Amino acid sequence: MHVYIYDEYLNKNKYNRAVNRAEIRLTDLGLNGKIIRLGGIKNIKGTIQGEIKLGAKTIVAVGNNETVNKIVSAIIESDTYGDFEKKTLLGVIPIGDDNSIAYSLGIKNEEEACNILLARRVERIDIGLAGNHYFLNQATIPASGTTIEIDDYSLEVKDGGELKIINLLSDPKETIKSNPHDGRLEILIKTRGKDQTYLTAKKFRVSNPNHKLLVDGAVEAETPLEVSVIKNKLNVIVGRDRLFE
Amino acid sequence: MFSKDNKPEKFKDAETIIGASVKVKGNFQGQGNIIIEGALEGSLKTDANLFIGDQAKVVANIEAKDAMVNGEIRGNIKAKGYLAIGNTAKIFGDVQYSELSIDKGATINGQILMLTEEHKRGEKTKIADSREMKETADDNQ
Repeated sequence: MHVYIYDEYLNKNKYNRAVNRAEIRLTDLGLNGKIIRLGGIKNIKGTIQGEIKLGAKTIVAVGNNETVNKIVSAIIESDTYGDFEKKTLLGVIPIGDDNSIAYSLGIKNEEEACNILLARRVERIDIGLAGNHYFLNQATIPASGTTIEIDDYSLEVKDGGELKIINLLSDPKETIKSNPHDGRLEILIKTRGKDQTYLTAKKFRVSNPNHKLLVDGAVEAETPLEVSVIKNKLNVIVGRDRLFE
Repeated sequence: MFSKDNKPEKFKDAETIIGASVKVKGNFQGQGNIIIEGALEGSLKTDANLFIGDQAKVVANIEAKDAMVNGEIRGNIKAKGYLAIGNTAKIFGDVQYSELSIDKGATINGQILMLTEEHKRGEKTKIADSREMKETADDNQ
C-alpha cells in the first residue's frame, strides 16, 4: 500500500492544478493509495507509525523540503523505524517552491515523481543530524563569525558569505563531490571574496553567536550544536538523474 | 612531482581546501591532498601532497609527501618526497626534503637538510619500533 502524505499548504488554490496532475498520473500508473493531509494532524510521528504497522509499502512526502524533513524526522524517531528499514521506502512528490531535496534525488516535477515511484529505483543514503534535527539535503549558516570545531582543530571564517554542510548535493553547478553513502558530510564555505573552503568530516561542532543554522531550508536551530552523519540510514526512491553515484 | 603551473590539475581532487578568508587553529591532519590559501596556526600533516598559496600565512610545523610552498611559513617543513619553493615563499624555519627546487626570489631563514636514506631508514625503524612496542603492549593486556 502507498501512503501519500500531503502538506498543509497544498490546500491553497494555487497548488490545485499541480496536485490534480500528480493524482491523475498516479491513477494512470495504478499507484493509488491512502492520502493523509497534514493539516488535520498534530501527531505526525504517531500517524506514520500507524501506517508502517499497517504494512505501508511506500510513504510518499507530497510537498516541499519542509514536508520531507518533517516526515523523515517522524520516520527515524518512530518506534517502527526497524519495520520501516526492512519493508518501507520513502518517496517524494515535489509541489511548489523549495524542493532542493527532490532535485538532489533526481526528481524535477510532480509528474516525473510519479514515474519514478513506479520505477522504484532505491538508494540507501546517509542522514545528517544537527542537534536534534535530521537533514537529508544540507544545513546552512552565514559564514561570517561561524566557527567549526573538528577533532583537535577549529576553523574561523573572517568574511561574509555562506557556510553549507552538505549531505546530498542540490546544486549541479557545484564543483565539489558529495557522496551520501560515505558516512561523511561536506563543509563548503563560499565567501564574498570568491574564495572557497572545502573539507569533509564525520562529526563536528558549529557555533555562531549571531545566526541560527537553517536545516534543510525548513528548520532553524540555535548554535552551538553538534553536527554528525548517520551512515546508510534511509531507503529512498530516486530518479535516474540524481546528483550522486 | 609537480610544478607551480600544474597545481590545479594535481589538486583537482584535493581532499581539503582552506580558503583565504578562513583561519585554522590546532593540529590539522589529513590523508589526501591539501591546499592552504588562508591562515593556519598549530601543526599541519598529510600523507599526500600539500600546496601553500602565495597569500597563505602558516605558523606551524609541516609534514607532507610532496609540497609546493608559495606563502609565508613560520615553522619547520619536512617533505618526504619533492619540495618546490616558489618565488613568493618566505620560510622562517628548517627545511627537510628528498628532492628540492627553489625559485629565484624565495626567502629561507633556516637550515636546509636533505633527507638521507639513513633518515628514511631511521624513520622506518622508528615506525617498526613503535609497532613492536604496541604489539608487545597489546600482548601484555
